[in-house]
Amino acid sequence: MMTSTEEEKTGLQEEAITINGSPMAVRKMQAFEHIGSLAAVAQSYGPRSVKSRILKSIYIVLIKAKINVLLPFGPLAVILHYLTGKHGWVFFFSLIGITPMAERLGYATEQLACYTGSTVGGLLNATFGNATEMIISIYALKNGMIRVVQQSLLGSILSNMLLVLGCAFFAGGLTHPHKDQDFNKASAVVNSGLLLMAVMGLLFPAVLHFTHSEVHYGKSEVTLSRFSSCVMLLAYASYLFFQLKSHRSLYNPIDSEVDGEQDAKEDNEEEEEPEITQWEAIVWLAVLTIWISILSGYLVDAIQGASESVNMPIAFISVILLPIVGNAAEHASAIMFAMKDKLDITLGVAIGSSTQISMFVIPFCVVIGWMMGKQMDLNFQLFETATLFITVLVVAFMLQEGTANYFKGLMLILCYLIVAASFFVHVDPTSDDN
Amino acid sequence: MANSGIELETNGGSKHWDSDSQPNASIPISTVALPPASNFHCAFQKIAHSVKIVIFTAKINVLLPFGPASIILHYLTNHHGVVFLCSLLGIIPLAERLGYATEQMAAYTGPTVGGLLNATFGNATEMIIAIYALKNGMIRVVQQSLLGSILSNMLLVLGCSFFAGGIVHYDKKEQVFNKGTAVVNSGLLLMAVMGLSFPAVLHFTHSEVRYGKSEVALSRFSSCIMLVAYGSYLFFQLSGRESSQYSRIDSQEGSDSDIQRQSQSQNSAEPEDEEEEPEIGLWESVAWLALLTLWVSILSEYLVNAIQGASESFNLPVAFISVILLPIVGNAAEHASAVMFAMKDKLDITLGVAIGSSTQISMFVIPFCVVVGWMMKKNMDLNFQLFETATLFITVLVVAFMVQDGTANYLKGLMLVLCYLIVAASFFVHVDPSSSDD
Repeated sequence: MMTSTEEEKTGLQEEAITINGSPMAVRKMQAFEHIGSLAAVAQSYGPRSVKSRILKSIYIVLIKAKINVLLPFGPLAVILHYLTGKHGWVFFFSLIGITPMAERLGYATEQLACYTGSTVGGLLNATFGNATEMIISIYALKNGMIRVVQQSLLGSILSNMLLVLGCAFFAGGLTHPHKDQDFNKASAVVNSGLLLMAVMGLLFPAVLHFTHSEVHYGKSEVTLSRFSSCVMLLAYASYLFFQLKSHRSLYNPIDSEVDGEQDAKEDNEEEEEPEITQWEAIVWLAVLTIWISILSGYLVDAIQGASESVNMPIAFISVILLPIVGNAAEHASAIMFAMKDKLDITLGVAIGSSTQISMFVIPFCVVIGWMMGKQMDLNFQLFETATLFITVLVVAFMLQEGTANYFKGLMLILCYLIVAASFFVHVDPTSDDN
Repeated sequence: MANSGIELETNGGSKHWDSDSQPNASIPISTVALPPASNFHCAFQKIAHSVKIVIFTAKINVLLPFGPASIILHYLTNHHGVVFLCSLLGIIPLAERLGYATEQMAAYTGPTVGGLLNATFGNATEMIIAIYALKNGMIRVVQQSLLGSILSNMLLVLGCSFFAGGIVHYDKKEQVFNKGTAVVNSGLLLMAVMGLSFPAVLHFTHSEVRYGKSEVALSRFSSCIMLVAYGSYLFFQLSGRESSQYSRIDSQEGSDSDIQRQSQSQNSAEPEDEEEEPEIGLWESVAWLALLTLWVSILSEYLVNAIQGASESFNLPVAFISVILLPIVGNAAEHASAVMFAMKDKLDITLGVAIGSSTQISMFVIPFCVVVGWMMKKNMDLNFQLFETATLFITVLVVAFMVQDGTANYLKGLMLVLCYLIVAASFFVHVDPSSSDD
């Protein structure tokens, strides 16, 4: 009796979940069907149940979310890379293939955060939140494509600050047309201050180099960049301490964001309901990171070829296209939270991500470049630095009031269109681009 | 009764007019008894009456003869400097009357369209001068005069108003104004600076795809975006938001109409009264609008043609004339009314005039000129060269910082005026690096 019931149920799944008729296995199968009750599942650690757990885990992480329909593009990109020489296709396919994996990486991160408590959870979010950008940058750095690193990180900051925030404000304003939405001004102002400090860190090497006023031409600003990066990493660490420990009360509306961000795909429940166990989360974290690294390798290799075949400047691809796709999942969740009138979470996603990239990922890449022996520095060239400076000013000014409406969102989006158009006609003055 | 009969005929019975108080209540026009049979006589009386109101009652119109004088001088002598000065003086009263005709018309059309009219025609003089200069291919003059108009509005007009208001209300220590509008306008000005910065920096760092051509294409695209932004700003402002923060905007748009009215003494009602009381009929105001625009255009042509010669005869850089002299004169009427409203402790109106005018020029007139230049096949772009762009950037930052807390005092005003003096001095010693200016 048991066996036939089990076989009926196993008929839904893949092949050999051959479980003998043990009460524990039945309970597990029932729990498998009723995904909600996970307590019994988590307790079984027997060897027979490993396979079922693995498959169940795969189901939850890889098949349940709708975004995973894009997953096949990843392997397709790898296949195309070896079969054809069409870099354009390889580039776009790997781009599309990374999107679901970046999203799943975020999912695994917040699942892990459920187990570790809010402080370490916040740290995890802070570190892995932009893991995709970090991985792509390190690959590009290994290939010596320093300009691509600089431009893709810059583009990620710009896209978070202008496009994601603008769309969120606009959507939220249209959904709540009769009032201005409020958010916690204090944290927005702190983040703006950090962004301005990052701009300062990026400005000095660029201006120093541009005005030919360095002690050792070309070398001083690399040294300066490395020193500034260490300072910026120190600043970011203190910011984390400030946010997560000493001044938590300042962030009360945002506190729930650190813990509750994972439920973007669930419904409005904000309690932590982990769906996979802690070790599974860690394993998935590792697996997804490896997959992303593999795809990033092909992505970075295909950039040059894609730029030639699609006839777009590399600057445009690095600054505009790469980040839009890389941020797609964050973009969607920020807009959704804005429409639910939870602007603090939106700000945490958008501005927090920008702060993270500018004060952590960029200096981190400089340090990594230092260790790799590459000349990665903070001199982003004058045009990019000026762009970042003006953008940070505009956004800081918009945020300082603590309110949002659709018009502010529209202005931010239009500013992003101007920035995108500028990069469409921008090439580096020193590079040959034929 | 006969007079009200004339007024109603001219109106064509517009609803706004009928719903208000009695039309003939406060218009002390010399009554004219009309022989009902004589249409020509009627028309003549109407025209004479209109001319009297528009031309002869305002004191500023004493400057009117300078206009024809400059035309005469243009053909008789070769003194470009004198022609320039005379046409400059002659445009002042015309610009002021143009504003008057606009708000008279706004009285008939209701607050929404009235706000739109003010928004579009508020800087009609600058627009006309700019389009003439564009036709002549004097692109730098266009850019510099529009830039100078923004600077003069933001620094000089605002500074004088804050200073005067602060001195008059010395006992109050601080005047307050509606922070929300000021912040929105500052945000728009920053966006305009953004739109102007990218073509300039792109060109300056030689990092365009096609040197010299890409930034024109980028300018045209950015201009369209800026026009879309300005359109949404108008929609946002005039659609009447329910939050009290913005509810004063509508009254501001209506109060703008009182600005020019206050400058003429006899016919206006009490200055505190903010109801719209049109003094000329709807069709009369349309006709005057067209006529004054025509006059301003004619004089602008002589003005623009005389700039180069005036620069040589007075030994001033063309940049200084375009950035400092032209706008001071062009804005003279707005300047006077802004100062007056500040002294009456109505800083919201002052801000609407000064900052609103700057926003209008930067987000509407400048992109509009780029689009017009596109159609005229002139290479007008948003690359205002590095010095001008940097000036605008710093100025917008300073002013945005000053108005962000919603208060004003005489020290802020003094600082703004002194900043303007620094800017003026900078342009006194500025020439374009590519032009030869002997």
